[in-house]
Amino acid sequence: MKKLINSMLGYWILLLVISLGAAAVIYEIWLRGNI
Amino acid sequence: MFSFPVAGIEAPILLLVLVGFTVGIVGGFIGVGGGYMVTPALIVFGFPGYMASGIDMTHIAGKGIVSTIRHRQLGNIDWTMALSMVAGTMLGVELGVRLLVYFKHLGISSIVILATSVAVMFGLFLYTQIETRRAHKSIEKMEKEGRNIGWEVQTSRLPRLFQNIPLAPIVICRTARVVVSMWVIVLVGMVTGILAGFLGVGGGFIRVPALVYIIGASTHIAVGTDLVEIVFSGGYGALRHSIEGHVDMMAVVFMISGAMIGAQIGSLATQYVRGPAIRYILSYSLILATCGAVLRLVYVLTGQSVEILSLFAVMLTLGEMIFLCLFIISLVWFAVRKRREKWVPDWVHSLTV
Repeated sequence: MKKLINSMLGYWILLLVISLGAAAVIYEIWLRGNI
Repeated sequence: MFSFPVAGIEAPILLLVLVGFTVGIVGGFIGVGGGYMVTPALIVFGFPGYMASGIDMTHIAGKGIVSTIRHRQLGNIDWTMALSMVAGTMLGVELGVRLLVYFKHLGISSIVILATSVAVMFGLFLYTQIETRRAHKSIEKMEKEGRNIGWEVQTSRLPRLFQNIPLAPIVICRTARVVVSMWVIVLVGMVTGILAGFLGVGGGFIRVPALVYIIGASTHIAVGTDLVEIVFSGGYGALRHSIEGHVDMMAVVFMISGAMIGAQIGSLATQYVRGPAIRYILSYSLILATCGAVLRLVYVLTGQSVEILSLFAVMLTLGEMIFLCLFIISLVWFAVRKRREKWVPDWVHSLTV
């Protein structure tokens, strides 16, 4: 994990995965019926 | 779920507050209103398109005032530059709207807007990303040599080119430490205004790079100065939308309650980083917004038949807000750790102060 965070690209990808995961959770909880 | 009688829909309050909060952080940090993120998100929550624009504009005006006050306290606003640019911006927005009406008559406005958005955002992303990488490497080199490094390192040669245009009146922007022809500032305002009016956005993501790479302001000053523009354009937009009945004030109140806190955090976060860190976040915001616009463009070109594209665009819009917010907060956290002499990733050293 430390190696991944130590590279800017690795950190970028890690945060993007977390963010898209959070977006998927928000979609499942609140928005599924709206779209 | 809360019922919004003016919009005629039900939407989750917590999400509105959260969107306001995250976009507040991003806006206060990179000096944008965030309309390109908020409007699609509000449409996803069920607000009609015209009302999403109205609510977005009104919340941007409120948030812009909070961020501007905070950036003024931090000394990040050059009033000479900001006020010189307002006239050009207003004229540009009017021209941009007229251009949009022309394409609307031709019946191709959606495709032209999306294609222009993709081209402008991707072009800005490329230039900002390449220049910022160069600046990042340059800081690392200076650190190795043990040299003293300030808040800003910028490697573009464009500002010198524009600052040498000998067209009177020449203005002295004392806070930004820039001497430049007033016509250059007005022209930058006008061109960015045309793009903003045409694309239907506030234009912060175009103006901040323009202030840095054309006029030669430091990134911190560009962010603060652009927020002054946002107060003017957001205020005017809010007034127009309110008169037209496009604003649900309850939704605005929920969003602003989150945005006011977020904008303070975002503005203060700029004090922990060097200019290239802000430009990195701006470029990430641009590439993610470009991907969202590409998805929407393909969706429109395929006759809105591939539903999965629309869903991906929604996920990307929400994901982008969370991503940028997490990146900014983690940069501040790393900066604090660095000050306490604890471990931080190698790339963070040169981006934080």
